[in-house]
Amino acid sequence: MFLSNVSFGQYVPTGSVIHKLDPRAKLFSLLVIVSAIFPARDFFQLAFWVAALAVLVRLSKISWRVLLKAAQPVFFLVAFTFIFNLAAAYFTGDFAQATYRAFFTSIRLIVLMMFAIMLPLTTAPLELADGLDSLFRPFERIGFPAHECSMMIGMALRFIPLLMHEADKIMKAQLSRGAKLDQGNLFQRVMAFFPVLIPLFIIIFRRADEIAVAMEARGYDGGEGRTRRKPLIWSLNDTKAIVIAALAAGVFFVI
Amino acid sequence: MKDVSFFVRKGERIAILGHNGSGKSTLVKILGGLVEPDEGSCLVEGVDMQNMEFRDLRGKLGMVFQDPENQIVAAMVEDDVAFAPENQGLPSDEIQQRVDSALARVNMTHKQDSSVEALSGGEKQRVALAGALAAKVECLILDEATAMLDPKGRMDIEKTLREIHGEGMTIIQVTHQIEAENFDDIERVIVLSKGGVIWNGETSEFWSKAEELGFNVPDEFKIKKFFADSKVDFATADFSHVKSMFSSELRHEDAGHEVKFSVEGLSFRYDEKNFALRNLDVKIYAGQWLSIIGRTGSGKSTFVQHLNALYKIQSGDIFFDGQSLPQKGNELYGLRQRVGLVFQHPEDQLFSATVKEELSFAPKNAGFKGADLDNAVSYGLECVGLNESFFERNPLALSGGERRLVAIASVLATRPECVVLDEPLAGLDASYQKKILTMLGSLRDSGKTIITITHDINVALNCSDRILILRNGGKITECPPSEAIEEIMNILEPEAWPDVLRASAEIRKLNKDFPLLYNYQDFIKCFSQT
Repeated sequence: MFLSNVSFGQYVPTGSVIHKLDPRAKLFSLLVIVSAIFPARDFFQLAFWVAALAVLVRLSKISWRVLLKAAQPVFFLVAFTFIFNLAAAYFTGDFAQATYRAFFTSIRLIVLMMFAIMLPLTTAPLELADGLDSLFRPFERIGFPAHECSMMIGMALRFIPLLMHEADKIMKAQLSRGAKLDQGNLFQRVMAFFPVLIPLFIIIFRRADEIAVAMEARGYDGGEGRTRRKPLIWSLNDTKAIVIAALAAGVFFVI
Repeated sequence: MKDVSFFVRKGERIAILGHNGSGKSTLVKILGGLVEPDEGSCLVEGVDMQNMEFRDLRGKLGMVFQDPENQIVAAMVEDDVAFAPENQGLPSDEIQQRVDSALARVNMTHKQDSSVEALSGGEKQRVALAGALAAKVECLILDEATAMLDPKGRMDIEKTLREIHGEGMTIIQVTHQIEAENFDDIERVIVLSKGGVIWNGETSEFWSKAEELGFNVPDEFKIKKFFADSKVDFATADFSHVKSMFSSELRHEDAGHEVKFSVEGLSFRYDEKNFALRNLDVKIYAGQWLSIIGRTGSGKSTFVQHLNALYKIQSGDIFFDGQSLPQKGNELYGLRQRVGLVFQHPEDQLFSATVKEELSFAPKNAGFKGADLDNAVSYGLECVGLNESFFERNPLALSGGERRLVAIASVLATRPECVVLDEPLAGLDASYQKKILTMLGSLRDSGKTIITITHDINVALNCSDRILILRNGGKITECPPSEAIEEIMNILEPEAWPDVLRASAEIRKLNKDFPLLYNYQDFIKCFSQT
């Protein structure tokens, strides 16, 4: 029941081929795959992408259990879309058609999110930040803060598990003081979460402050002049990865 | 801060001591070049910090802070240690060299490919230390760097610090107390109070003044001093009569205490593989103080979170006053009123605009109204020794120690019969630690059952009536302190024993008549009669 069971796409190091890919290659492949799944219209196409996902998971040496656990929050979203779709169908008539569509949309969403979650599972936060940084770099010319944005995403991924842990602890502490988090109407439930949210925000701000100070103490002064222990080096495998992703996506565009 | 001046020599190791609120956190930031002083200046090798290039300054001063989680930026150990040299703009192979040597320096080479998540608190702090060393700094500033660690983690850090100091590193350690394990190595002490320096001198001279300045003198130091003043030949001295002095002296008899909690065969696991608790049988007596000790991961927190049904029983039974522990419904809320649970760092869970509102939270949830509610709030505040002038104050504006007291009061307000506290003394200075221990003692004397989790063995032995030792989720023993000594000696390394116990164990090696003791007064008594 408690939040610490949820992993929210935390990095799982296994040292697999997928882990070793350049983060840019992974980002780009993901972009291609996602844009191919979105317009998917029939179960045959979805079946293909499920199979592709299975291959990817196999190669990454990440267990399905870990992936499903990381995808847990997605299932809530999916359940919501499913019910919403059904409800909409109830008012518009044609129930069979709508049920089919509700199923289809839900599965498509699940497959889509699973691919997306594989990215943080196989890429360390700072590496991902590096990847984003170099992909965003061209937009710096039009005033886009590339380094800041990617660093922010990297830090968020790094600290999400920690904050989940804090939230869990605060929830337990307020339950111990008799808080009733799961009773009453919607309004009462939302109000009941203030004793959890307020301390959580205080902690987030305090941590943010301390982390910023610690980063400055280690000489972090923005992206300017920073070098890398492992600079991003594009290898043959990276080219292969994006070609495979592009071909797989391309097949369906052609059909 | 006002009018603070001092210097630190190259290669010196000094401690800056101060209680909570003495201004030491501000001083750390100024020393580290992270905050500019309003007036005056801070010079490094004769150059004002404010005139130094950012990179030059950061290449000279390294910092390690209290919470390792707030310093580690990467998910993998090597990536994190590389952060500082990366910021210095070094070429890749040199960064790798720096990382390797820094990790070797803190004895973490075997964990270089590990993820930070998989490390213990002490290991994380060693990674943070390596992260500072990797910048090839000449001076380390440590801000309460060992305060959040268990004894083992503290000793490991201490060992590393001693080694790097031996190699010429300047170390400035800012802390609220000097631990027994490092006072031999610290050459000079500076004491801060209310934003000013009130004492500055050699460590050897500090100890005679320590109590006056409001700091605890470790027992080890008192023992050393005692033997320096009176020479005793342990091997030949006659201690045969001493043994009987202590065997008859059980402080709280078990007879007459009813069983409050009876835990029978309790097991718990978070996932299929790992048991957090294994077949635990424990009786907790009403009106007694039970200390639970054991290493990190031994199941202490999981166990106590069963006592107010935060965790549901998976297998086994818990009886509370002879009744099965309720697991849901209204009875569950009744249970949480009767068994108060104070988490580690409870001050982080305050959320109200005033102390009064904060203290009303639990009683309101338990259905208190009108005069009952007012009484409950006053009772809570009274228990922790704060007066009613605190009612309208903002909890967030209080000092750390006061916030802790308010948080504890907010649990006590519902008049629970049993109070469970997870590390209630963590991070507090000596005066607040004493306050809380005295308060828990008097709550126990008023008939409440007290359960504390602590890694301070000294507190467990000297304050509580019974001790429960856990290891890997199983019970090692549950007995009065005097009987727990041998188990403690079995499971902990000597450096983690209380000072008096370590000293008496050493004397016992020379003279088997000498008893194993943990209380300094008792220890001295043994010699007064020889």
